[in-house]
Amino acid sequence: MSDDRTVLTEVATGLFRDLCTPGDVVAAEATGWSERLWSALTESGFPLVSVPEEAGGSGGDVADACALLTVAGRFAAPAPLAETGLLGGWALAAAGLELPEGPLSVAVGAPGDAVELAGRRFSARLSRVPWGGRSDRVVALAGSGGQRFVVSAPTAAATVTNGRNLAAEPRDTLVWDDVGLPDDAFAPAPPGVDGAALRLRGALARAALIAGALARVAELTVRYTGERQQFGRPVARFQAVQAHLVTIAEEAELAGLAVSVAALNARPDPSFLDVAAAKAAAGEAATIAARASHQAHGAIGMTKEYELGQLSRRLWSWRDEFGSERYWSRELGHRLAAAGADALWPSISTGLVSEPASSPEGSFA
Amino acid sequence: MQFAPTVLTPAEEALRAEVREFLAAELPAGHRPALGFAGRHDPEFSRTLAERGWVGMAIPPRYGGHGRSAVDRFLVAEELLAAGAPIGAHFVADRQTAPALLHFGTEEQRQRFLPGIAAGEVYFSLGMSEPDSGSDLASVRTRATRVEGGWTVTGTKVWTSEAHRNHFFAVLCRTSPVEEGRKHAGLSQLIVDLSAPGVRISPIPYLDGSHHFNEVALEDVFVPDDMVLGELGSGWQQVTSELAYERSGPDRWLSTFPVLREWLRERGAAVSGEEAVVLGRLAARFRAIRQLSLSVARALDGGSAPVVEAALVKDVGTRFEQDLVEALREAAETELDQGSRSLFPSLLAEAVLTSPSYTLRGGTTEILRSVAAKGLAA
Ligand SMILES: Cc1cc2nc3c(=O)[nH]c(=O)nc-3n(C[C@H](O)[C@H](O)[C@H](O)COP(=O)(O)OP(=O)(O)OC[C@H]3O[C@@H](n4cnc5c(N)ncnc54)[C@H](O)[C@@H]3O)c2cc1C
Repeated sequence: MSDDRTVLTEVATGLFRDLCTPGDVVAAEATGWSERLWSALTESGFPLVSVPEEAGGSGGDVADACALLTVAGRFAAPAPLAETGLLGGWALAAAGLELPEGPLSVAVGAPGDAVELAGRRFSARLSRVPWGGRSDRVVALAGSGGQRFVVSAPTAAATVTNGRNLAAEPRDTLVWDDVGLPDDAFAPAPPGVDGAALRLRGALARAALIAGALARVAELTVRYTGERQQFGRPVARFQAVQAHLVTIAEEAELAGLAVSVAALNARPDPSFLDVAAAKAAAGEAATIAARASHQAHGAIGMTKEYELGQLSRRLWSWRDEFGSERYWSRELGHRLAAAGADALWPSISTGLVSEPASSPEGSFA
Repeated sequence: MQFAPTVLTPAEEALRAEVREFLAAELPAGHRPALGFAGRHDPEFSRTLAERGWVGMAIPPRYGGHGRSAVDRFLVAEELLAAGAPIGAHFVADRQTAPALLHFGTEEQRQRFLPGIAAGEVYFSLGMSEPDSGSDLASVRTRATRVEGGWTVTGTKVWTSEAHRNHFFAVLCRTSPVEEGRKHAGLSQLIVDLSAPGVRISPIPYLDGSHHFNEVALEDVFVPDDMVLGELGSGWQQVTSELAYERSGPDRWLSTFPVLREWLRERGAAVSGEEAVVLGRLAARFRAIRQLSLSVARALDGGSAPVVEAALVKDVGTRFEQDLVEALREAAETELDQGSRSLFPSLLAEAVLTSPSYTLRGGTTEILRSVAAKGLAA
């Protein structure tokens, strides 16, 4: 890890440790929000890491943003970190649109969604928008007159129906009904800024959160099974329980490394092969590790207060968000099949493609 | 845990390109790939590889080797395994015996064996398991008795892969009787010539019908003193030592890759959505596991001893080798037929028949997991 990124990770860890305890996470479930946490994050510039400073962001690169998300995942942070910077902030900055003060969200097109832009008249129905109702703006892509636009739709002009994922993180439905957009709310989308690219970033972001959560699940399970006594000894002394610990460690490491490599290879944008493989692997890891850690914990893991449940409920949600394992496996499979049998091994054996830059231009601080 | 992202240097990329080019010429499209390191025994291929400098890569030049890094070895091994190259003749000697000789052997032993191993000409088997000693290796009963100038060895080894084709094997045996409560003491490794008088090798038919492993009966086989490998009485430490982490290489996750490739070749570009899911899922996991395994190799070059990491890679990798076979069987919806004249179905049949061995050989999944779990708790 670059020195800057190590510092970033340490600072973020300290911040979350203070402001995002398991108690804070439980408390935030009622509203899906922790104002205290969000203002501290904003003050540190964390939400806009990877968005260029010229555009009003915090600087840094995709790998910095993913390192931050991995920490956020560990702490089950109830905050639209990825949506604000890596996804929405990226699209707005690329299109030359202004970044709002508050949180951003994005829509990449859930089934049944519709977006219509005619002149400056905007109509849309967007569902499962992360922290949609909490955001200042929602970033969406719209076609109009044969051109593609980045739209920064004001949330205040939408009708919001609240929804949530399994961890009570807001996943809202927003409807704009023939709203007139201000000038600063849409601009032509530059090449490379499209639905597929946004989805790819979303998938990478969720994979990074999953990796962080898995690392914590692994720690928690080792700790708990080392303390919990049955039959006169710690349950971790039973081989059947040890097998769960090993499974969790394997899956956590596997997902973590796949995400790191995908993030480090994103120069400047994440690559399809890296992200598809990382999200598919992380999603599968989430399923396997969540099951094993619940099994190893027994009933305590089924309580709402205990930390494991905050992580496992997120894992069960994040694995489907921005494309499930099946979705990304299928996309990847079609791509690999088109390239043919002899291209399969060269593709699989492509790992980290170049030395990580030691210090990205204009650090995040 | 120390799995760090690893980038290949230009020199490493060049090595890989060189191996790929060589393999494209040596193994033309349509050849029947071997599945894994034990897939096929082909001395001529081993010698050809050695001429290119790709055998004995860990052996220093003064013993005829090439003094290459763990990552270089990793890269060559993964290319060979992915291509399904017939590396069975030299692989065990190269992976396991050569490092043991380097670490524990006498100067004389190194000079005697290492050049031949590096030339792809001297092959070793492993003489550990016995009828009553599998996972509990310290319970071996084969014993060596002191005689003038050396030892006579008596006992029976089983599952000895390729003993009928190889030249020597390192035999784990008792050189002094079990002491109460110290069953790991008194064990030694002796290098036994498989053609020596008193060695009787009989085939144990393998599940797929091939002659892969053997029973090797030793009856008063004379082993001179200079063939004791390492210290007398340190056999246990030697077989379980740091060498263990050398065993998380590509041979632990690539055994069945050629089946996937040949399936894709047969299916062509027009895979169904369901088939694409299978292919994508397997490829995603391959990439992830490969990165773990590569990062262990890099850590070894950095001088660390990633014992737990290596155990995790072997466990997750060998189970994946098996999962791949089942995933393809489901996708292919065909009756298994070893005699099929098409490549993919016959490879799939071979893989189904041999895949249980992946999680047994070299230490079972259960034993490996105990090792890893102890490390995790530490
Ligand atoms: C293809 C193949 C090639 C081989 N080649 C060689 C060779 O060349 N040379 C050689 O010496 N050996 C060789 N072996 C043997 C191999 O090393 C043994 O199979 C292995 O060590 C396990 O021993 P076992 O088969 O006797 O099983 P056992 O030890 O009898 O185990 C049976 C079952 O019990 C489980 N078990 C045993 N002890 C424990 C425990 N403490 N905790 C939890 N579970 C336990 C095992 O995991 C397994 O599931 C080969 C094996 C195979 C399959």
